[in-house]
Amino acid sequence: MKYILTILLLTGCFDVSNAQQKKTVSFEKKMLKIPAGNYKPFFVTKSNKPIKVAAFKMDESAITNSEFLLFVTANPQWRKSKVNRLFADSNYLRDWESDLVIGKKNINIYNSPVVHVSWFAAQAYCKWKNKRLPTVAEWELAGNAAPKNIKYTSLTEYILGWYKKPNLPVLPNIKTTYQNVYGLYDMHGLIWEWTFNFNSFISSGDSRGNTEDELKAFCAAGAINVVDKSDYAGFLRFSYRGSLKGNYCIANLGFRCAKTIE
Amino acid sequence: MTKYNIGILLILSLVGCMQSSNKTEKKITASGRQAVLPDKDSMPAESIFHLTDSFQTQENIPFTLSMLKGKPTVVGMIFTNCTYACPRLTADIKNIADSLKDEKEKVNFLLVSFDTKRDTPDRLKKFADEKGLNKNWILLHGSEYAVRTFSVLLNIQFEKDAEGNFSHSNLVSVLDKNGVLQYQKEGLGAVHTETITTIKKLIQQR
Repeated sequence: MKYILTILLLTGCFDVSNAQQKKTVSFEKKMLKIPAGNYKPFFVTKSNKPIKVAAFKMDESAITNSEFLLFVTANPQWRKSKVNRLFADSNYLRDWESDLVIGKKNINIYNSPVVHVSWFAAQAYCKWKNKRLPTVAEWELAGNAAPKNIKYTSLTEYILGWYKKPNLPVLPNIKTTYQNVYGLYDMHGLIWEWTFNFNSFISSGDSRGNTEDELKAFCAAGAINVVDKSDYAGFLRFSYRGSLKGNYCIANLGFRCAKTIE
Repeated sequence: MTKYNIGILLILSLVGCMQSSNKTEKKITASGRQAVLPDKDSMPAESIFHLTDSFQTQENIPFTLSMLKGKPTVVGMIFTNCTYACPRLTADIKNIADSLKDEKEKVNFLLVSFDTKRDTPDRLKKFADEKGLNKNWILLHGSEYAVRTFSVLLNIQFEKDAEGNFSHSNLVSVLDKNGVLQYQKEGLGAVHTETITTIKKLIQQR
């Protein structure tokens, strides 16, 4: 009886790990080249010149739970039970069953973007892959590209339509929204994404007007300086980034990596 | 099935298990990029000394944040080409130092530059000389990655513009002897009475 129990336990263990392996076996994530371009910052800065963005490579889709599981398996300090609170708050990987188990009840999110990950965790993941997080300018340049496989009137309308909808109980899989002309999937419509310099937008609820540029974007009259006044979606993205801290782990915030072209 | 067979099965499954865990171990060493933290256990979890990136001082000496251990540290982030805000932030911190009188020897004064391109150790050395910052002051040059991580840890926002200058928040931060952030004050020319009280308290702390 003892033996049978042990075997059952072991096979049980195996089943789980096999199931996870099937899901986690993934090929190197496809990266796409984003051509060089000029990115107009969303609000007017002192010099108000478009930022030149060099050509770079970007993951075609957001990092999934399965992909992130491989990372925490190889890097124990990033497991739920071990991670330093300085680098990830208590919501880190909140939906996962345990350190190395996404969980049977979560079977539908293996291939969905990993969320509840901090900036530090996203940084560490990209570094582990020998990549990096995209800058705000890179991300915005890539994200502003037109969709190629959906009907839409304007990208802003599409994005605002998404912002209006409440979060779905289960986050859909990657590649379920749209693909843009660069070939990137789900730049809008699925999750918000971390950027390397997310803390670059100078605005915060409690700043006392000592940062130089915030008035230009946020005070009623100052909003005249915003480059594209109809880009309310961009406005929301920027103020969202401005509200984040590096260890925040949030329900609809994930990431994808980028790479400099040598 | 005989007991013998079951035994073999058991062994096989165990070996299988062990192999997969071995693989994991290998990956850790092979990746090798995750630096091992020095005496991690003696550091509080919230210590910014957990940031292991290497910086260079104005004397061109390699520097990691854990080298600040043992004294409270007053921190500002600046760039030396800055015409308005940064000289004032530096002056504010200098005023804090002066108010501490003899006790200022028991405190580190740390300035970290946003400007990874222009603020080389040499440039920082010149700046320190111009401003009369003595050996208690540490001015750091770091990689874009290290500086950004540092700013995120201290919740300091900054952005580089097309001309290579920076917009940034103006914060004076105070760390205790173990690198835990204890106090922050925003603003230029701010009243630093509480900052000074905090520093004095932290000097006494063992």
